[in-house]
Amino acid sequence: MLYRVIDASEVDALVRGFMESYEVVAPVESDGSIVFDVVHDPSEVILDYVQTVSSPKKYLLPPRETLFTFDVEANDVTEFEADIKPRVIFGVHSCDINAINRMDLVFRDGPYPDPYYVARREKTLIVGMSCMPDEKCFCNLMEADEARYGYDLFLIDIGDKFIVSISGNEAAEVLERSCDVRYASDEDRVTFREITRARAEAYNPKNPNVQSVAMLMDAFLYDPFWNELGERCLSCTACSAVCPSCFCFDIYDELHPDGKTGERLRVWDACTSPDFATVAGGHNFRPKPKHRVRHRMYHKLNGFQANYDRMLCVGCGRCVVACKANINPIEVLRFFKEKEAVHADE
Amino acid sequence: MPTNRLSNVEREALAHVNVNPLGRFDRAATGEELMAANPYRPWPARITSITQLTANEKLFEFRFIDERIRDAFCHKPGQFVELSLFGIGEAPISITSSPTKKGFIELCVRRAGRFTTKLHQMQCGDIVGIRGPFGHGFPIDDMRGHDVLFVAGGLGIAPLRSLINNVHDERSDFGKVTIIYGSKTPSEMMFLNQFNMWKHRDDFELHLTVDNPDDTWDGEVGVVTKPFEKLEINPANTFGTVCGPPVMYRFVVDAMRAKGIDYDHIYMSFERHMKCGMGKCGHCQIGHQYCCIDGPVFNYWEALNIQGSMR
Repeated sequence: MLYRVIDASEVDALVRGFMESYEVVAPVESDGSIVFDVVHDPSEVILDYVQTVSSPKKYLLPPRETLFTFDVEANDVTEFEADIKPRVIFGVHSCDINAINRMDLVFRDGPYPDPYYVARREKTLIVGMSCMPDEKCFCNLMEADEARYGYDLFLIDIGDKFIVSISGNEAAEVLERSCDVRYASDEDRVTFREITRARAEAYNPKNPNVQSVAMLMDAFLYDPFWNELGERCLSCTACSAVCPSCFCFDIYDELHPDGKTGERLRVWDACTSPDFATVAGGHNFRPKPKHRVRHRMYHKLNGFQANYDRMLCVGCGRCVVACKANINPIEVLRFFKEKEAVHADE
Repeated sequence: MPTNRLSNVEREALAHVNVNPLGRFDRAATGEELMAANPYRPWPARITSITQLTANEKLFEFRFIDERIRDAFCHKPGQFVELSLFGIGEAPISITSSPTKKGFIELCVRRAGRFTTKLHQMQCGDIVGIRGPFGHGFPIDDMRGHDVLFVAGGLGIAPLRSLINNVHDERSDFGKVTIIYGSKTPSEMMFLNQFNMWKHRDDFELHLTVDNPDDTWDGEVGVVTKPFEKLEINPANTFGTVCGPPVMYRFVVDAMRAKGIDYDHIYMSFERHMKCGMGKCGHCQIGHQYCCIDGPVFNYWEALNIQGSMR
């Protein structure tokens, strides 16, 4: 790992350095909540937040995006060039970086690279920021408490200084231009170690660690537990809206008022929405909330792992806050922890 | 404090750092040339023929207007395309023509909703958009040299017909061919002209069966598993293929298993609403599999290992 040290007071200069040639988005305060939004002044950036309301995925996969415009009479696409700005997502926690890495697997590295996503991803620099977990964080259970790759810079708070892990040339240039980069001293390294240890100890020990959750899920596919969750689910899709790794979408056409031209849109969709699995003719493969809740949890904790060897949950804890019915991966893990314990006794 | 700028060696190393160490998950897919630039872009195609098959189903023949696309487009039996009617939307529809016939593709469409109703109102010469082909088709090359048993129910004949016609066109490559095709009533039976021509051929064993016969029907009566009772097959050398309404699969697969066909020699095509066709939008997920890139054709062994596929 290539790293240098900067003073905490230099972070403003770093943000300003990025603002010269990029649009900078970062955690800022908005109506009492912390959200990712465009920064107009470095002082707006909040560095010591626990979690934003929604994730930065909106900058790579916008909630609503025009794929192309078309002409109805000519029955053809009028070519569309996406307006993609060079952007820096500043202050991203390791959970969200891991979520972006998982989206990359699907949208960039998969069998059909998504041209819109890839174009945005290539124009986006990611500057990570270390964090201290609260009781809702469970990234440590999802192998997402550390960002091993997927960022350009990663700032680790060691008191009055930051260790900056450097992993991209473009960002390194801005860093060197804006800050006084130094080698880490022995003292810095000791502080880093202490902070890392303190962070590992800050995780809520009540969040259950279930190693074999994927396998247990296969075994308990028809357990009444899913009915119980289904009865509580409001099908409001808030969970996927705030989730940093939910990427399902819908594609539909919208005509312009003249009726002659229109746009093909891609908008966020959620597998917990009632008609998600409906096919032509009206058959719904997941007709009840219990099917949909179960499917979502399976895709997160079991299915994605079967395909990509990691879970599609990064333990950011946003859905723990967003779900009004208290349905979240911690609940599911807790259930399987019990099942695991029962099996151990037998 | 001295400034320690990055050295040239470190700079050079950086060029290699920001790469996902897992690399790419490449899977084989056809039509790459066509898809490469922007796989969401439908290409204009002209309707060159329309055949009314039943009261609600029509067979459409399309030809791409751009010759480069027409030449590049090649599919495997069992694959599908995304059909666009600009201003209405897009729908995944399985290709019903055989890859052995080039230059055009046929889609068999039932009038069911807004999209298909609009399509049914279109005329020869009208233009639509098509992108694809997508999905994993039937393993036709593995099937060569073997007997093939087809079981289709209702509209399930549409995806199977691409394979049936392919087998027909390369008949000498295959062993015994048995086709069981069932529908609710005689009037809902499609491609009867084609099948009636094959009735008297001894290289096709044909069982056309209906649930509810009427005066015009002199063929077999009963569900598609009925002909299995007197069916004689060589299970070790037979590939079974199934496509039909969701409820049909379990019964047909059980019947095939009872005849002794292996799990991995039973192939089925699943219906889901593939909105992107490229393993992203999530609408076609069956358990952890995406019907669009992992399917729509799965063998029974694969299907058993997908949560929620068979029940």
